[in-house]
Amino acid sequence: MLKNYFKIAFRNMARYKVISFINLFGLTVGLSCCLLILTYILHEESYDRYNSKASRIWRVTRSFNNKDGIVSLHLGAVAPPFGPLLQNDFPDIQKVTRLLPTGVTPVRYEDKLFNEDNIFFADNDLFSVFDVNILKGDRTNALTDPFSIVITEEVAHKYFGDADPINKVVRMDNRYNLRVSGIIAPLPENSHFHPSILLSFNTLKDSAIYGEKNLATNWGNNAFFTYLLLPENYPAKSLEARFPAFIDRHMPYNKKDPASQPSKYTKLFVQKLTDIHLHGHTDEEIETNGDSSRVTIFGAIALFILLIACINYMNLSTARSTLRAKEIGIRKVSGAQRHEIITQFLSESVLISWFAIILAAALTILLLPWLNGLTGLHLSAQLLLKPAVLIPIVLTPFVVGILSGIYPALFMSSFQPVKVLKGLFKAGGKTVSFRKVLVVLQFSISIVLLISTTIVFQQLDYMQHAKLGFDKEHIVTLAYNNGLDKTFESFRNALRQDPHVLAATRSSRIPSGRLLDEQGAQTEAGDSLRPVNADIKYVAVDHDFVKTYGIPIKAGRDFSRNYATDSTGYLLNVAATKVLGMKTPEEMVGRNFAYGGVKGKVVGIMGDFNFEDMHQSILPIIFVIPPANSDQFGRISIKLAGNDIRATMAHVEKVWKQYLPEVPFESTFLDERFDKLYKSEQQQGSLFTTFAGIAIFIACLGLLGLSAFAISQRIKEIGVRKVLGASTGSIVTLLSTDFLKLIAVAAVIAFPIGWYTMHSWLADFAYRISIQWWVFIAAGVLAAAVALFTIGFQAIKAAIANPVKALRSE
Amino acid sequence: MIKITELQKSYRTEEVETIALNKLTFEVKEGEFVSVMGPSGCGKSTLLNILGLLDDPDGGSFLFNGIEVAHFNERKRADLRKRNIGFVFQSFNLIDELTVFENVELPLIYLGVKGPERKQRVEVVLDKMQIMHRRNHYPQQLSGGQQQRVAVARAVVNNPKLILADEPTGNLDSSNGNEVMTLLTDLNEQGTTIIMVTHSEHDSKYSHRIIRMLDGQAVTENILI
Repeated sequence: MLKNYFKIAFRNMARYKVISFINLFGLTVGLSCCLLILTYILHEESYDRYNSKASRIWRVTRSFNNKDGIVSLHLGAVAPPFGPLLQNDFPDIQKVTRLLPTGVTPVRYEDKLFNEDNIFFADNDLFSVFDVNILKGDRTNALTDPFSIVITEEVAHKYFGDADPINKVVRMDNRYNLRVSGIIAPLPENSHFHPSILLSFNTLKDSAIYGEKNLATNWGNNAFFTYLLLPENYPAKSLEARFPAFIDRHMPYNKKDPASQPSKYTKLFVQKLTDIHLHGHTDEEIETNGDSSRVTIFGAIALFILLIACINYMNLSTARSTLRAKEIGIRKVSGAQRHEIITQFLSESVLISWFAIILAAALTILLLPWLNGLTGLHLSAQLLLKPAVLIPIVLTPFVVGILSGIYPALFMSSFQPVKVLKGLFKAGGKTVSFRKVLVVLQFSISIVLLISTTIVFQQLDYMQHAKLGFDKEHIVTLAYNNGLDKTFESFRNALRQDPHVLAATRSSRIPSGRLLDEQGAQTEAGDSLRPVNADIKYVAVDHDFVKTYGIPIKAGRDFSRNYATDSTGYLLNVAATKVLGMKTPEEMVGRNFAYGGVKGKVVGIMGDFNFEDMHQSILPIIFVIPPANSDQFGRISIKLAGNDIRATMAHVEKVWKQYLPEVPFESTFLDERFDKLYKSEQQQGSLFTTFAGIAIFIACLGLLGLSAFAISQRIKEIGVRKVLGASTGSIVTLLSTDFLKLIAVAAVIAFPIGWYTMHSWLADFAYRISIQWWVFIAAGVLAAAVALFTIGFQAIKAAIANPVKALRSE
Repeated sequence: MIKITELQKSYRTEEVETIALNKLTFEVKEGEFVSVMGPSGCGKSTLLNILGLLDDPDGGSFLFNGIEVAHFNERKRADLRKRNIGFVFQSFNLIDELTVFENVELPLIYLGVKGPERKQRVEVVLDKMQIMHRRNHYPQQLSGGQQQRVAVARAVVNNPKLILADEPTGNLDSSNGNEVMTLLTDLNEQGTTIIMVTHSEHDSKYSHRIIRMLDGQAVTENILI
């Protein structure tokens, strides 16, 4: 029986090539989109799951609350004392391991000098908590000795070529000699951290590096990523209830004042290792994480595209049903039961879906490099080959086939043989209306995607071109090196030798980064200072920061070398004056102020500017000139004139090499850093455009098939109208209007959905565009234009045909 | 074999009700060859559809081999139909996408006959209809007469007790028409009951009896033998 069904299915496909192509092509593209997006989703969901103990590993995170209990900062890393104390106080914790990233650090071996970006302090327990493949060295004590390092194969090859790296000594930051004690394979891409060099944690105990005392008492340096290994099925979240007492037991505070209990302003949490990538979202992460909402959005888009393709199948099959009616009649007369007819049509649609999935699999493999290029990921089709994924994929054609085929099957199996064999059959009104509903659905989805794409790009454009409140053009940034601590003024002067270097400054953070540092502030209240009940983020800067960045001073003045007292002077932004209760910026100038316990005066007020990306609102900021050698500077910023940049950069590099011969020169322009902030949105935008394009294309293919069919049904009517004097134009209008009406209805449905979707998306940005009405009209008009183009070609063909031919064929 | 009593059938559109069969009563015995004649719209096709269990009557009784089938549901009708009734249509009604062999094979597939037996039975009947040499051709590649022979082959392949023919020569020239009528007569002589709707007085002469219909009623019956 099935053989007979498939035989006729094949022959039908061969006979109605265009419609078969539309169906097969649509389903193939739809399924390819699904497979591509599935690969992406599987990749995102797979993060850290390669670890055999993944379900038992939890990360400790720390939040800070303001007085109202609102979380002002949530960090993925905690202070160094927490790790050992947790292990001590909670016997259920089997192991604790910590990672401390060092930031970009130069490493030299003989004449090879590179900046290394992924250096972490780590201990031996890292190897027993995480799955790390140790190629050489001892798993149990490779990281025991201070100043020993474990490096990846790639790093080993980079420095030592083919020589045995074990016991080789490299020099870090021109200060320490480190001995290679082990080689590891690089961690997989789907790991939330990728160390290239692991530096023995015991090294930190050296007082020149960090010091044991600091490790035990520095509660403010929340940079230690701390992981717990818990027993199988351990209720890890139950630990959180015991953390407040733990915090109060160990963190110092004034015991006489219960209000100052640390648990009142800071909390510890545990976070599942496998949740870090998609649900991490803390303010401090090792690498940029993924985003679960993006995974959901793309999953939905994939299903929508597949739905559009399935609708094409439904529409074209029911439209074509008149052509199959005779066959159905004959089968019924020959003894076919209704369920046998249903089975026949379902097996046809399942068969087509089977072809589609095979083609889609091939297309997916071809398109993965393109998707990788667009997303910067390294997705592999191998992800689809796991049994848990492959089996559902293999079963997909049944689902898609049944979804696409069930309506046509039910509809066609209901044909009465008497009517169809007598030629009395006409596809009923109900079917036509249902087809219309489906076309409306397709175009609603397409229009929503069009609206979304436009708004995503408008927002991107806004973020990239909005006035940030300072001048980000022609600013080069370099990693600060402590080797400049004593020579920075001379370094700056050397830079300024070139008239194209307008200013140079150093600071703890630079715009485009996050504002995570904060200390307590006190402001003038009568004769004394009272604590400020607001968060003010600080940035350590030198005298030239405001000038370099072109930040406007609204009141008072900028830091100046002419005032010795500026070493305890403060610059605030307007947002800070507002949280301090000032009506005007001027009011704040000259007031006594203390920050981090250091008393001084407010010398000036800066205009507000976007230090962080546009997702974040402008926070109250304080600029502080730190004491000499306080190890607070992180980056250098150099303002260039903007002409002859190549020569100026050559000069900058020359000066750098002169002052820091042991540090490789690496620079980035500030606007590039800002662009990078929106990279994920930009990728999202590109993917949106692509998928919206595909959705509309498939919808139009369906419309093409449907209109061709509808027009072929009206050939006689067109002939009669022409004979009676209708113009070509009026016939094209007649034929197009029906479809355009559907697009109009689709637009009306799509507008509110598009508005709601994008309104929710934009809510994630502190600075966002307002949604404009013309976007909706434009999306509707574009959809209508594409549809009109699709239908118009056939309508014109039908309208200019010789009417005699049409009438004779009746 | 067939006994219908006061059979009624009407078709309704929004505004008009057309009575197709108006209390029609007659009987057909096993082995008979009956022609049904009458002007267009007199209800003969409706009658044939009801007799063929393709349509159900609004009222009256329809005994098929002594079993009341007037109110059978679709499943029962289809089951009874595929075991007992073969159809021949004016417009042949062959499936264009299937070859001659496959078209004839179709009723056997729905009867659940296994492949090798199907092949043998189809070949026997194709041979009998003298279209064996065309077994792998598609309907479009055949002449009208050949197509109707395929249709007859399909109608008889499951050895039905009853063949219903709806103007079987209507689309054929006279020589092809005569051939088809001879085929039907042969089948009748071998014991198959045949009821044929026709406009052709010539064709009706091949039958034993003519029922003439007007406005949904049998007006006269001519016994020819």
